[in-house]
Amino acid sequence: MFRPAVRKPEPSGAAVLTMRRVYVLPTRPGMAYAVLLLLMLIGAINYTLGLGFALTFFAGSCAVADMVLTVMNMAGLRLTAGRAQPVFAGEEAQFEVQLHNDGTTDRHAVRLGFHPPGTPRTMELPHAVDVPAGASAAVVLTVPAPQRGWLPAPPVRLTTRFPLGLFGAWSNWQPDMRVLVYPFPEADAPPLPVRGAASAEGHGAVGLDNFAGIRSYQPGDPMRHLAWRQIARLGPADGGQLVTKHFDGGAVAELLLDFGELQPMLDLELRLARMTQWVLDAEGRALPYAFRLGHLHYPAALGDAHRAACLRALALYGREGGA
Amino acid sequence: MKNLALTRDKADTLLLVAAAFMVIAPHFAHLPWWISATVCVTLFWRALLTLRGRRLPPVWLLLPIALLAIGGVWYSYRTLLGRDPGVAMLALLLAFKLLEMHARRDLFVVLFLSFFLLLTNFFYSQTILTGVAMVATIVVLLTAQITFQYTGAVPPLGRRLRLAGKLATLAAPLAALLFVGFPRIQGPLWGMPGDARGPRTGISDSMAPGTMTNLALSEEVAFRVRFLDPAPPQNRLYWRGVVLSNYDGRTWTRIGGTPYRRDINRITDGLTLRLGGSAIRHEITLEGTQQRYLFTLELTAPDLIVPGQRVSASDELESYTLRPLHERVRYTAVAHTDYAVQADLDPALTGKWLQLPPGFNPLTRALGARLHALAGERGSGTAELVDAVLSMLRQRRFEYTLEPPLLGRNSVDDFLFRTRQGFCEHFAGSFVFLMRAAGVPARVVTGYQGGELNPLDGYVTVRQSDAHAWAEVWVPGRGWRRVDPTAAAAPERINSGLSRALPRPAPFGLAGLMALQNDKDSWLSRLRFGMNAANNAWNQWVLDYNPERQQNFLVELWQAIGNWRTPAAAALLGALAWAGYRWRQRRALDPVQAAYARFCRHAAGLGLVPAPGEGPHSLALRLRALPLPEERKAALAEFLELYGALRYRALDDDERIRSARRLASLLR
Repeated sequence: MFRPAVRKPEPSGAAVLTMRRVYVLPTRPGMAYAVLLLLMLIGAINYTLGLGFALTFFAGSCAVADMVLTVMNMAGLRLTAGRAQPVFAGEEAQFEVQLHNDGTTDRHAVRLGFHPPGTPRTMELPHAVDVPAGASAAVVLTVPAPQRGWLPAPPVRLTTRFPLGLFGAWSNWQPDMRVLVYPFPEADAPPLPVRGAASAEGHGAVGLDNFAGIRSYQPGDPMRHLAWRQIARLGPADGGQLVTKHFDGGAVAELLLDFGELQPMLDLELRLARMTQWVLDAEGRALPYAFRLGHLHYPAALGDAHRAACLRALALYGREGGA
Repeated sequence: MKNLALTRDKADTLLLVAAAFMVIAPHFAHLPWWISATVCVTLFWRALLTLRGRRLPPVWLLLPIALLAIGGVWYSYRTLLGRDPGVAMLALLLAFKLLEMHARRDLFVVLFLSFFLLLTNFFYSQTILTGVAMVATIVVLLTAQITFQYTGAVPPLGRRLRLAGKLATLAAPLAALLFVGFPRIQGPLWGMPGDARGPRTGISDSMAPGTMTNLALSEEVAFRVRFLDPAPPQNRLYWRGVVLSNYDGRTWTRIGGTPYRRDINRITDGLTLRLGGSAIRHEITLEGTQQRYLFTLELTAPDLIVPGQRVSASDELESYTLRPLHERVRYTAVAHTDYAVQADLDPALTGKWLQLPPGFNPLTRALGARLHALAGERGSGTAELVDAVLSMLRQRRFEYTLEPPLLGRNSVDDFLFRTRQGFCEHFAGSFVFLMRAAGVPARVVTGYQGGELNPLDGYVTVRQSDAHAWAEVWVPGRGWRRVDPTAAAAPERINSGLSRALPRPAPFGLAGLMALQNDKDSWLSRLRFGMNAANNAWNQWVLDYNPERQQNFLVELWQAIGNWRTPAAAALLGALAWAGYRWRQRRALDPVQAAYARFCRHAAGLGLVPAPGEGPHSLALRLRALPLPEERKAALAEFLELYGALRYRALDDDERIRSARRLASLLR
């Protein structure tokens, strides 16, 4: 019953809420309960009620047991940081936190949430979880991400009032987590700065003149290049394959997103926002794009890795942690 | 609850309603019927609303009902203050509050009201059964409280009850410790409301025909006695209480004697007391009587010390407290088998014990005068006179009965010469009248006679039905002597207690049935003794655990544990508990980890100590270099291989279990 969690080698970034880290105070109902106990004691004394004393002491002891159980409901929980995906500025950053119960009793009604310094202690925390014995629970905590760059996770506060609600136990944990916040994509960004032989249909039809046949689909091929006519003839469900139109002379449509080309008069953040939007546009339209930001140069490519590298560079431009 | 698929809110609320009902139900016994009915209807209404999923009634509907109920309480009690109306209001409040629950704090209000109502229940009953019901109710209340604390899925009722039970079990030792050790303050803290105590029966300070007969029918306990020295035989168990010396022709009353001084050696008011023979120490636990009289075994010097009470005494050897006794009190007294009271009293001062109202009982007066004359002729003393009267009572075939015929104005004449049927009050009163008529100072003493020894705990229980009246006559040179005319006429009353002396009417109910059983070995009387012993222990340890008893107990406890053995035993127990805790902790370790720990200890013996951070693979490489038998090496290598797989490779459950078993077997 009083067994703390079995000590195990800790993976880095994990924390065990030992008894020392769990604090406990009576809640508002708990204080009302104390007044009630006092009234009951006075009643028992005044009327010399032997059973009244018994009831008062029993009720008081239940409160003490509640205090112990409330602490035990939290003590020994092991916390680990989970995944955290990059977000764009202005979105909510999401941090996954995992709670592991290595003990043999179920933990109930553990509330948790981010609790930046300065928020009142009594603030209601947004999430509540149960962690059965020997099991884990994962909670995704969110925090606004207003600015690009690294966003470290704020301190996490855990509270519980289980089982009786007369006492509240709490503990704080600073998870070793951060998310990358990409710049906010500019809303009405100018069109992509396509260079080279732009066709009459506009930059969207780059290279279509040089159609060189079809080949089988490879992951990463843009959707717009799928050869729908051929695919429709024999659908994938009937054993057909996805096929892609193959173009020659793609070099004609060299798309370079160069930060240096943008007007230096523009606000830095606005320029970064425009670059961000362009990266997204180019990805969305499957135009391979090269990327240049300060000393950084990525050759033309498409795909998640390329996109992530570019956005990362934009997020961290001029910030601690690299350009 | 037939429909188990109730939504969570509904089930939680129904549990709360059930808990509230458990709290209020014991009060139905003393609440006015209409309050009980209102509470029941309200709770039923609440349950129905919950089941149907309806909204709670609005305030404009509840408020008039509540006001009406308050008016009803006033109408029933003619006041809103005091204990009983207060309890009635609380019960109504709890019921109505259930209809007006909107926020979480309302839940706590309901729970706290319930706890307080639970306490008020003890105004009316503090039996063992009440205690058991209290614990059950608390567990249900705790369950309701726990239920409202869940944020996710709520476990089934059984598990919640178990959790509440666990909480209560955890609380019990501390509660017991607090109960025993928490400094007790003797109440009351303020003036008790007048209605705090119900009427009680008991010996009063007057004796008119019928007073004793009423008592004789009551099985209520008057007091319990524990003898610290060997107990005297049944027929010597005279518990002295009130002395009645005034007679107005119908009722015997007290004179209201001068206060007795504490210092026995300097008594100036004519009370001299010589005590001899063996001393009989006894401890009396007297029930609250609403009277002030203290009872002791005859004859105890009236210098009792009663904790929390100021005690005084009269020169007729009555002890009484200055305040009426609302509560049980416990005191120790020392009786002596041989005594002389006022042996050297000046006969001229005995006038108040010779007084008789004029114009009553001419026949008895004439008889007394004849006896007086006869004694004067023969030159015989008081003792012979008393003997003569007692033998007269014996010969005239008096009958001992609880239903004596009505007596006329000259009640003593009627009793002695006509009906000859009576109870101890007739015998004692008539005897004293006759003695006074014969010129012998005499008075009536009331109290109790006998008592029932409980072989289980050694306590003697004296009940109201043991109430008795006897006489005292003053013999020159020897002082006051006890004479029991009832014993002369109906000796079985004195020798074996009332229940055998009287032919009983057919008993009704359990109490009657039990009273009928006088065979000490029957299972029924053993059961009765067992129940009495439990009740007595309950009284002594729960209900009457007052500051004085607490102090005594703590001193005794300290004497019991203040030696080397107790701390040693405690240390041993602590060490055992610690070892058990460690063992459990070890067992709780992952079996794979435990096996690896064993392997490491084993390998260390072979000179193979894993470096920090060294994995099984590198250990296995080093293992190969060790000079060991091949099959041993193979086993250890397989162990490491399996361990590595279990630890670092994704295995399905079947594989995992098989490998873990194999792992454990490899180390044997």
